[in-house]
Amino acid sequence: MFQSLDLFRLSSAMASHAGARTAMIARNIANSDTPGFRAQKLGAFHEHFRPVRHTAVQITRAGHLGAANQASQLARSEPQLLGMSPNGNSVSIEEQMIYAAEAQREHSEALAIYRHSLTVLRTAIS
Amino acid sequence: MTDFSDAMNVSASAMQAQASRLRYVSENIANVDTPGFHRKMVSFEEVLEAGQRTGQITTGPVRLDRTEPEMIYDPTHPLADSEGNYSGSNVNLLYEIADAREAGRSYEANLKMFDQVRQMTSSLLDLLRR
Repeated sequence: MFQSLDLFRLSSAMASHAGARTAMIARNIANSDTPGFRAQKLGAFHEHFRPVRHTAVQITRAGHLGAANQASQLARSEPQLLGMSPNGNSVSIEEQMIYAAEAQREHSEALAIYRHSLTVLRTAIS
Repeated sequence: MTDFSDAMNVSASAMQAQASRLRYVSENIANVDTPGFHRKMVSFEEVLEAGQRTGQITTGPVRLDRTEPEMIYDPTHPLADSEGNYSGSNVNLLYEIADAREAGRSYEANLKMFDQVRQMTSSLLDLLRR
């Protein structure tokens, strides 16, 4: 029964990834008028998800389980030169809004999974 | 959770910076007819705490626009020189309106991010409820 605890770890990793992503987007938008600022990008959870074979536990990269602030190490500057404004700023607010909606969806997805596993666990115990 | 409070601080600092930019814009517009007034410009920079980047932003030092002020012909004006000209301000209303629009748009984007982070935090705290 306690194998399902992996589900908790996975969904909390997903939620913390979505949180790190939102923080990064907030930083990008805050700096949307700062001269010379380059937008940073952090991909969706599944892009960084790496299942480990031959083990019962599926673990993502080290940055995902437990250490949320390591997610910032996965972030990279976007080498995007097309939408650059004259002051050297590469943030596109529209693009960041799309990423923000994606991150929010990812977060609520993770919380839904977590809550559902909680319900299953509770049913099993009672 | 630290990610969320960081993000909220960042968004709030950005909103404050945009608001102070808007304040300078309104100051410029108010002084468009003041003789000898130089347009005030402000830029954004990142806040550093003990050499560390925090991601928060603030307005930089105020700079004055160095372009030549407009010469206005009005012999009855008290400041008029021997040829009847006096120097007005170098404020261009078109620039100020564009600047105000951009500041307003960025402010709204930051507000939306702040709201989203707040929603995510409260949905996380809802897990504690049965």
